[in-house]
Amino acid sequence: MNLLSIGTNHRTAPVDIREQLYFTEKELDGAYNALLKKYGFKEAVIISTCNRTEIYTVADPFTMRYGDLFDFIVDRKGTREFTKPEYFYRQFASGAANHLFRVASGIDSMIIGDIQILAQIKDAYYNAEQKKTTGFLTNRLFHTAFRVGKRTRTETEIGEGAVSISYAAVELANKIFADLSKKRALLIGAGETGELTAKHLKSKGIGELLVTNRTRKRSEELVNRIGGRVVEFEHFLEELGKCDIVISSISADEHIIKAPMMHDVMKRRGAEPLFIIDIGVPRNVDPACNKYESVFLHDIDSLQNIIDKNLSKRKAEIPKIEKIILEELQGLFQWYKSLQLNPTISDLRQMFEFIREAEVEKHINRFNEADREMVELVTKRIVNKLLHTPMTTLRMSNGDPQDDTLSHISSIRKLFGLERKE
Amino acid sequence: MDTIVDILNILLPLLYGGLLYLYGQSFFKSVSRTNKIKTVMLAATVLIHLMYLLFRTVLFNPPPITTPFEIMTVIAFCIALAYLYIEVISKVHGTGMFVLIPAFLFQVISSLFIRDLGQVPEVLQSNLLGFHVTSALLGYTAIAVGAMYGILYLMLYHDIKSNHFSVIYKRLPNLEILESMSFRSTLFGFIFLSIAIVVGLIWLPIAFGQIFYSDPKLIGTMFIWMLYAVGLVSKKLAGWHGRKIVVLYVSGFIVALFSITFVNFFFSSFHQFY
Repeated sequence: MNLLSIGTNHRTAPVDIREQLYFTEKELDGAYNALLKKYGFKEAVIISTCNRTEIYTVADPFTMRYGDLFDFIVDRKGTREFTKPEYFYRQFASGAANHLFRVASGIDSMIIGDIQILAQIKDAYYNAEQKKTTGFLTNRLFHTAFRVGKRTRTETEIGEGAVSISYAAVELANKIFADLSKKRALLIGAGETGELTAKHLKSKGIGELLVTNRTRKRSEELVNRIGGRVVEFEHFLEELGKCDIVISSISADEHIIKAPMMHDVMKRRGAEPLFIIDIGVPRNVDPACNKYESVFLHDIDSLQNIIDKNLSKRKAEIPKIEKIILEELQGLFQWYKSLQLNPTISDLRQMFEFIREAEVEKHINRFNEADREMVELVTKRIVNKLLHTPMTTLRMSNGDPQDDTLSHISSIRKLFGLERKE
Repeated sequence: MDTIVDILNILLPLLYGGLLYLYGQSFFKSVSRTNKIKTVMLAATVLIHLMYLLFRTVLFNPPPITTPFEIMTVIAFCIALAYLYIEVISKVHGTGMFVLIPAFLFQVISSLFIRDLGQVPEVLQSNLLGFHVTSALLGYTAIAVGAMYGILYLMLYHDIKSNHFSVIYKRLPNLEILESMSFRSTLFGFIFLSIAIVVGLIWLPIAFGQIFYSDPKLIGTMFIWMLYAVGLVSKKLAGWHGRKIVVLYVSGFIVALFSITFVNFFFSSFHQFY
């Protein structure tokens, strides 16, 4: 298998290098053109995200060189002076396929189980397909990678559980409340994590979102971005009694919600649960508020606790995923092996012979005893003649790298339904 | 019909065991694909169990409530029925394992020791009594299921409150759903307990002629009934909910358990038949 790949990711190169090696959509046009025309690769797919740039190519077995791929990247991106060769990993055949499958499954990601990467690989592949740089090998390789990605998500729990503060907060809200659309949330402060949490709550259909901040302008800007209603900072305590979820991420030297204040709030709320997410550092909410039976107060540490547990659960899934990858690798190589010439010729011959025998057997009784031998002979001859030209052409092209023998074999197997034998 | 009853007697523990396996899988491995199969299998098991109870009634007449082992199979049936109702209403599939453990155990013990009927005390040969016992059992099992959901609520509550995010946190539905399941089940149980009390009070003078209103069993039962009545009414009127009311459901069940075991065996003057 003349599959050759090169790549760099968060483990092999620092972020400032990865940034420089990122291919924009516009740059990809010219890049594909150069890979095929200038460097002579037969097929190519470039995956480029903020964490990785990887190129998968099918090369000519007699002339392929990793150096070509390295040169291609550094020349294209103009980073030769500061890009060291050790920033890259280089893989061949099953190593390259194995690596791609690991990436597609999410176990090679910075955050294990990241679901975005599969979509990014799909985009990269369809982009290459549009530019007509994919071929019979990359097609098969990438579709197998998509299957690996899909299987890891349906057969394992690699993508389960929140792994960011904002998602952990929303996950926790979903463990307290049955229906977020009937709940009201209050966001205090306009910090990034607070905003993200509010955004996730919005996407989960929170009934109403109130936003408050010391500077009204910042609240208004936030409301314009994600929706909701602005509340004056001086009046937020009055709203507290009417809210079910409070996200606080303001920078303040002392607690902005103190335990005695909660007394009135809880009087008003009765036994209705109040979920307070305190992501301010230093903390915005007096920890003593948690003593109220229906107050669920969680700070950044307890959310981090959820994340750590989820991450270790994801890590525990890796052996299952490696098993899936191995199965798919075996499938891929079995398919590839079937593309050899001799097995295909013998499969094809067997199939023709099978049809001939079946037809002869069905109709043989219509012939005299004396003619039967003749029927056998004639039908055999027809089969041989039908097969003669395609077989000769295939045999002649075998071993000639300029001819896409594998591609022809692949087509023949597909056309005559020989793939089922794989 | 004898053979059918015998076959069903062997089949039922196997069916409950199978259900337990399916629900256990979905709790520990969260296999959601089997949700539909589980509900259908549960409904089928309940139906087969009902047939078994009917066949037994026809075969041995009176209804199967005359020996402890007969009662146990009826309890298993009631638990499964009460849980089926909750699952269909709430569409929450993750908690079945907890409910089906007692159902499975009751059925296994019953299947092992149950015998064809011999002598039945005359006082027990009454259809009115059958009605009384069936609704009492249905009522008790429903409040037991309610208490079970209450306990799950308290476990999840503790997990969230104390930042201890265990497998309970991962697999259980949210607090509001657990509370409403606990409430629904308890309400269902309360209704059947009320029916059982009314029918019992009608049957009592018929069976014994003389009525013992000061009997510990009667007092205990009325106390439990009042406890639940107060709980359910205060939820409606005073807007009680959350942890407080769940604790009430659970303690109501503990008192009830005490009443049907301890009080029954040691103090009751008339409510002892076995």
